Amino acid sequence: MADPAIREQVEQAIRDNEVLLFMKGTPDAPRCGFSMRVVGVLGDYNVEYGAIDVLPALEPLREVTGEISDWRTFPQLYVNGELLGGCDIIEEMHESGELAELLGADQPQSAGAPAPQPAEETPVTQSPPLQIENN
Amino acid sequence: MADLAEVQRLIEEALPGATVEVSDQTGTADHLLAVVSAPQFEGLSRIDQHRLVKSAVRERMDDGSIHALSVKTSVP
Repeated sequence: MADPAIREQVEQAIRDNEVLLFMKGTPDAPRCGFSMRVVGVLGDYNVEYGAIDVLPALEPLREVTGEISDWRTFPQLYVNGELLGGCDIIEEMHESGELAELLGADQPQSAGAPAPQPAEETPVTQSPPLQIENN
Repeated sequence: MADLAEVQRLIEEALPGATVEVSDQTGTADHLLAVVSAPQFEGLSRIDQHRLVKSAVRERMDDGSIHALSVKTSVP
């Protein structure tokens, strides 16, 4: 059963951010390879996005996103309130041009390049840590 | 650690008629790649296709035997 307070915070964050990434770690210091790859993809677009580090409350957040989106793994990317998916889907959409379309951005030159490019300075709103009681 | 054959079987059982290949990405049997081509995916969004695969192996993800699962789906 998902914690209702956390669920409300998550739903608020999804409403407040046009692009919102739930990830392990932070964009400057990702703590998992898949999260790092999504950050790298987003860095190719000139879009602002919010980022939430799920590690401080991993299991409670899995329950919440499981309830909201039927998706319990991280990273996961929301655009305009809708879950697009995890790393695999984001990378496929990046290469196909769908991600550019959904973000309202130009298709980057680097999409489909074999090696990840160093991330550009992308404006990132670090969402405030969720207020979670340590039970 | 995940049993690759079991993971393959779980997905095949959830998606009868699918072609399923499960491989070990890191040699430690906990980062897996599942490549699945299934008729049931017809008309579904990518994310719904992935949901079907993930739900087939949900228990193995919850019990930690699969640490990470990459999924690639297609319609036959």
